[in-house]
Amino acid sequence: MRLGLERGQGLQRQQLSHAMQSLPPLPGPANGTLVVSPSRRPQQQQNLLFPCYPGAASRVRSSKRLHVGGNNNNSNSLHNGLPELTASPCVAYRTSRLVSADAAAGSGSGSASGELQEKRVGSAEAAALLLPDGLSPEALPRHVAVIMDGNARWARARGLPVSAGHEAGYRSLKQMVKLSRRWGIRVLTVFAFSSENWLRPKAEVDFLMMLFEGVLRENIGDFLREGIRICVIGDSSKLPNSLQKLAREVEEATRNNSQLDLIVAVSYSGRRDIVRACQRIADKVKNKLVDPEDITELLFAQELETNCTTDYPYPDLLIRTSGELRLSNFLLWQSAYTELFFTRTQWPDFGEIDYLEALCSFQNRERRFGQRDV
Amino acid sequence: METHLIQMYMRLANEFARTFDSLFHRIQSSMILKFILGLFWHLLHIAVSLVHIWSYVIQQLRCYIISSGLFAKYRNFSLSRLRYLAVIVDSQEAKHTAKIKQLLSWLSAIGVKHVALYDAEGVLKKSIDFGQTRLRDRSAGTCLDGDVNCVTSLCNYEEMSIELLSFTDGKEGIAKAASFLCSDYLKNDSDDCGRTETLFTEANMTKALKAVGYYGPEPDLLLVYGPARCHLGFPPWRLRYTEIMHMGPLKSMKYSAIVKALYDFSKKYQNYGS
Repeated sequence: MRLGLERGQGLQRQQLSHAMQSLPPLPGPANGTLVVSPSRRPQQQQNLLFPCYPGAASRVRSSKRLHVGGNNNNSNSLHNGLPELTASPCVAYRTSRLVSADAAAGSGSGSASGELQEKRVGSAEAAALLLPDGLSPEALPRHVAVIMDGNARWARARGLPVSAGHEAGYRSLKQMVKLSRRWGIRVLTVFAFSSENWLRPKAEVDFLMMLFEGVLRENIGDFLREGIRICVIGDSSKLPNSLQKLAREVEEATRNNSQLDLIVAVSYSGRRDIVRACQRIADKVKNKLVDPEDITELLFAQELETNCTTDYPYPDLLIRTSGELRLSNFLLWQSAYTELFFTRTQWPDFGEIDYLEALCSFQNRERRFGQRDV
Repeated sequence: METHLIQMYMRLANEFARTFDSLFHRIQSSMILKFILGLFWHLLHIAVSLVHIWSYVIQQLRCYIISSGLFAKYRNFSLSRLRYLAVIVDSQEAKHTAKIKQLLSWLSAIGVKHVALYDAEGVLKKSIDFGQTRLRDRSAGTCLDGDVNCVTSLCNYEEMSIELLSFTDGKEGIAKAASFLCSDYLKNDSDDCGRTETLFTEANMTKALKAVGYYGPEPDLLLVYGPARCHLGFPPWRLRYTEIMHMGPLKSMKYSAIVKALYDFSKKYQNYGS
């Protein structure tokens, strides 16, 4: 609705803003959480019930207008840093802090190029500035795992070839990496290809291998620029030699990055992960580094493949799309205390709204990690 | 002069009147705007509350209909695919043994034959008493994969076999199996010098788990009762393709929810990744 925010009506804008702040929040599972339908197509996003005030989008526009006339680079980068706001008005961002951060940075540094927050996000506080309303930065999961299921079903539902589904899935993955990076998620593990997927038709498997290679080549620049560290886990011996070599090169090139650890599970099996850990321990036993009687759960955990990320090897939240309710041999050991979030949305349709729903669900759960409340 | 002054005063008065008028109109329009906005917000508030109330009523109605058996599909569905059911209970709620026994009675009434009960801290193992307990030797290793009789600790309750599990049966069990494998590997290595490097397989690990007494069949369905939707350390080796359904807290468990979960499971199709 038009709220009369034309230039020159400063008094009305302030009164409106004051009126908006005095209104009560909407009811729901928790203030600021999304009320969404189980499955969604992109065109249905406009039918969602809003968690925030209806005028939040106009508040964003008004704050953007307040910034017009300032440093051009800053205003452009503000606009570039918030492209999704106009596309999905049901999500309100904390723009007031964005504006003040931008103003402070603009006055200090003079001209800022590139996107507003992407270069400056080097601290938890900066990442929290880009969080949508309803999410608290302290309660965000540090490690998110995703089973990207539903590409083939998505394509079949549209009469498209399966390869189109996988390509659409790649676009969803790209967006999820971008959002995770923006919101300060430290580790993102994605289940790209399981050991059981080798049983699929050869044409599909070959296409997937080519897609993985293309994705790594195409995005190596982005990984380096965004500070994303890549780690490929799984039985690499079954992968094509070119993909093995490229994966090693990308891992080496991004070894020192620290903003986001992206673990890509290709030809991965949770059981095989456990067996390989056992094999490594056996090698240590053979080399007299460990006694068989000293093998404990802790020692075992250190030998798992997900320990390539040293900070948070166990996922806090695991998301599976397309409505299936199982782990399918993914992170069996690591997921003991992982919050499981199952959604009926197919992976190519999984977007920012769905990700927010998963994060809100995570924040609303009572997780005791096996301990009692004191 | 006086006329001039009067005209000036009148002009001033008109100016004041115009200013107050526009100010009054502005205040009035902002008050109207505020009223409209507030009304719209409260209407939205009411609409969302109505939606929540409606969905709650529908849910309660569905529970009643399922419990009373009015829908034939919820009375007559096949449990042939459900060979083994696992139930995870939050350790704090596991102390309510009456609730646990009621849950088991419901499962037995539906026709479930084999159940694994798990809680992370082992409260169920300590507190629950099924009267007749049948324990197996942990070193028994001659059983087929997936065979329920391979389970090392079985109880009988209302025509069901119940397996009680805790955190020690999960990761610790795998660590002990690894220790067994490594000891065996060392022993064979010292007996046969120069042997090429042994590669462990999943079959080796399965045999080792059986040997140390921590083997059990993979559940087809896992019902999680607790505040969080986690499997809380259930033996990871057995969770490969298990369907996981979160049922909410044990204190608010419903017979209709169990029937619906089993019915939904009976309709599931798994392609196991292929």
